[in-house]
Amino acid sequence: MSIVRDLAAVAKGMSVTFGEIFQPTEVENYPDGPGPFRGAKFEERYRGRHVLQRDENGLEKCVACFLCAAACPSNCIHIEAAENTAEQRISSAERYAKVYNIDYNRCIFCGYCVEACPTDAITHGHGFELSSLNTTSLVMRKEDLLAPMPDSPAKLESSTQ
Amino acid sequence: MADVTLTVDGKTITAPAGTLLLEACRKVGIEIPAFCYYPGLSLQAACRMCLVRIEKMPKLQTACTTQVTEGMIVATDTDEIHQARKAMLELVLANHPLDCPVCDAGGECELQDMTFKYGAGGSQFVEIKNHREEQQWSPVVFFDRPRCILCYRCVRVCNEGMDVAALGIQQRNSGSVIAPNDQTQLDCEQCGMCIDICPVGALTSDTYRYKTRPWEMTHVGTICTHCGDGCKTTLGVRRSDDGMQIVRGDNRDKSGLNGEFLCVKGRYAFDFANNEERLTQPLVRQPNGEFAPVTWEDAIKIVAQKFRVARDDRGGASIGVIGSTRNTNEEAYLLQKVARSAFGTNNIDHHRTTDYVALTRALAGKKHRMASIADAGSAPAIFVLGNDPTEQHPLLAWNLRTNVRHNSARIYLANHRDIKLQRQAKSSIQIPADGYAAFARFLGGEENSVFGEDAKALRDALRNEPSLLIVFGSELRGSAIDALAEFGLSLPDTKFACLGDYVNSRGAADMGLYPDLLPGYVPIEQEGGLRAEYGGRMSQQAGLDVAQMFEAAARNELAVLYVVGDDPAERLGVDADALRNTFVVVQDMFMTATAKLADVVLPTSNLYEKSGTVTNTFGDLQLVKKAADRAGVRSDLELIVRIADTMGEDVHALVPFGKGVRADMGQSRGVQSGEADRHGIWLAAHNLEPKLSPFDPNAVLDEIQRLVPGYNFDRMELLAGTSQHVDADGSGVMEISRFANRPDGAMPSADTLFTSGTLGHYSEKLNEVETFQAKKSMVAAD
Repeated sequence: MSIVRDLAAVAKGMSVTFGEIFQPTEVENYPDGPGPFRGAKFEERYRGRHVLQRDENGLEKCVACFLCAAACPSNCIHIEAAENTAEQRISSAERYAKVYNIDYNRCIFCGYCVEACPTDAITHGHGFELSSLNTTSLVMRKEDLLAPMPDSPAKLESSTQ
Repeated sequence: MADVTLTVDGKTITAPAGTLLLEACRKVGIEIPAFCYYPGLSLQAACRMCLVRIEKMPKLQTACTTQVTEGMIVATDTDEIHQARKAMLELVLANHPLDCPVCDAGGECELQDMTFKYGAGGSQFVEIKNHREEQQWSPVVFFDRPRCILCYRCVRVCNEGMDVAALGIQQRNSGSVIAPNDQTQLDCEQCGMCIDICPVGALTSDTYRYKTRPWEMTHVGTICTHCGDGCKTTLGVRRSDDGMQIVRGDNRDKSGLNGEFLCVKGRYAFDFANNEERLTQPLVRQPNGEFAPVTWEDAIKIVAQKFRVARDDRGGASIGVIGSTRNTNEEAYLLQKVARSAFGTNNIDHHRTTDYVALTRALAGKKHRMASIADAGSAPAIFVLGNDPTEQHPLLAWNLRTNVRHNSARIYLANHRDIKLQRQAKSSIQIPADGYAAFARFLGGEENSVFGEDAKALRDALRNEPSLLIVFGSELRGSAIDALAEFGLSLPDTKFACLGDYVNSRGAADMGLYPDLLPGYVPIEQEGGLRAEYGGRMSQQAGLDVAQMFEAAARNELAVLYVVGDDPAERLGVDADALRNTFVVVQDMFMTATAKLADVVLPTSNLYEKSGTVTNTFGDLQLVKKAADRAGVRSDLELIVRIADTMGEDVHALVPFGKGVRADMGQSRGVQSGEADRHGIWLAAHNLEPKLSPFDPNAVLDEIQRLVPGYNFDRMELLAGTSQHVDADGSGVMEISRFANRPDGAMPSADTLFTSGTLGHYSEKLNEVETFQAKKSMVAAD
């Protein structure tokens, strides 16, 4: 009797295996998938590498108010402010961030900076591949963090849809 | 006045009759918010934030204009008052742009604070805000009209405090606008008081706007390096690529002897420290005549070697030393000590701008006759002889104006020019430019036909003053000061003050940067005391003054000239040929005219980058704190010690360091230590502060306190930030008949509000303001 019982147990177990074989694949195809995240999938509110946003005219939203730096518990944001001139306009207010560095050696991805931002300039993106053998490469400059410039109004329109 | 008793929020309080209700409440800790009320200025009652309910009065009353009366019952903390404040803030904010993230005042804005504390979360107004472009009124003042809340503080401080009246109000009612009285630009002294006093960010300063935020800076209260008044300026500093950079100067915490006052120099002329022309490497002249950078070790070795050879081969008298009027007392003291005890020379001098020696001699043995600058704000009568305080001593002028406004003080003037202070004077006379000495004797009773009836009337008025403060400029020197002092001392109660030009002109004199006087104006030949301290190398022969040193150099009698922070070549017009056979060492921030003639140039820090003490021209001793920092430079104190050390001198004999407790408690960290180091203050008060290195100015201050006559001040008060009046009462000065005809050697610098000796050349903002003012006055003349 014991043989029957053992076979029944094996059959029960294998039924799960064979049942799953024919189900659709549920695994993320990282790092071989398509797109900038190479198949990695995120929840909408995942807090990854920051993105400095631009407004609808392509100007930087950041006005260098230093509130993110003040809110930051790990003190990883360094800003230097400068004034916009009529010839060279970077942001929509009087002031812009000449230097905006985030030190990802120190950032703890708490999201306080995003909460503090009065102009919604700093947001968390989904970038997560932040490991390096060289810590200096983890200090990201404004150029590394800025959202890409919208090429033309037409493209901007399509991307917002 | 008699006290009255009233009830505020159920609490019984007592205040002198006539006190404003707002002040009486604040004294006992009941806060009443207000924008337009400002202590010391006239009352406005424009902002309506201070509304309170007073029993038996039909409407809410403004606490800033209501005087307390007996039995008054006041409510400041009821729902009705909360509602009133909320409504007032809503109206103030109706057209106030909510651009706090970019506004310079954000973080230290009174409107922000009040909205957080008393305001509503939202607004009922849906209308679009009325935007206006920002205006530039002068090289330093910008105006952002929509941010203005019409408290009129700027207008009042300009009219009443500064007596300039450059600002006014255009239009009426809700259309009111603050505007310059002279069309679109400010016709004023560019003091920036309007910016400082503005409760919001409507008036902003060019040097600071859009640079950083208040909480990003470290704020260090130190002493302004420009004129002789010694105002405290709180410098906002932040990290930069090569040290700590100064971004702002103000005195909003009113912690110094200047209260809230600062002039254009204290507020904006710190930018010389950030000047790109600053030297950051020691330079040594090569055989081909060009300067080449060398290491500090090499530079100091070369200098020490030359100094030692000159002293040993040609004697101490072949070395000349020139000190600075902008260095600390510690540096001045140590310089003369090194010169006398290590170099064995009395050829030591500085840029004298007035004759402190004559005043000290005239008041020898008399206690408490030297006035503090605070006395100018409280004395019932002041006689200003010579000088133009508005231009040369702005804080003195401010104190005098305030004194007239608040206490109806009587100001008497005698001057050869028309000066602005005449507007406040009770009586003012004009005397010839060369008639000051004669006028001093005329006051003493000597008749002189040059002076007419008005002068006689002035003399009689002065004679009838029960208590008088006499302030005189550098027009009076030598025996003229004796005559004036004799007249002053014949009156019942007189104090004196002598006006020198630079921040530590008085300190340099007190510390004995004279060829014939030791610290505390002790004559060089006096036995014991300092002579015993300084050792056997000290010469008894009086040395050469600045001019004589250059003459000696031209005669090939000076082997070495050591110039610490001064520019005698520009002042005296020295040509390179005169110094052909002299080894010249210059310690300075910039390639000055003197540095260009030097063989070795050592780049140094300025007063904002070091610690120590300075003494203003009135004798108020104050603490200097290290605020900024610059990579590549060294303080003069450090260089003097290192040169003496490399020469083989015993550093312990020069600087009494390494005594007491041995541990770094943080005193040496300067700006990094942030707020007042209370532990350090306690240690200092008990004389336990560690003086670990010979570069510690505290160690030199110990010796100054121990040895220099007059410098017996309260160390704890000084370290806590209070000014200490040092009465160089001449206790060290003996009967000095030789001084009677002593040449004073003074060269007043005749600086205006917008110049500051050699240093002024390197302040871009100051030069910009000066050009702007010159252009304005040219337009006015047309």
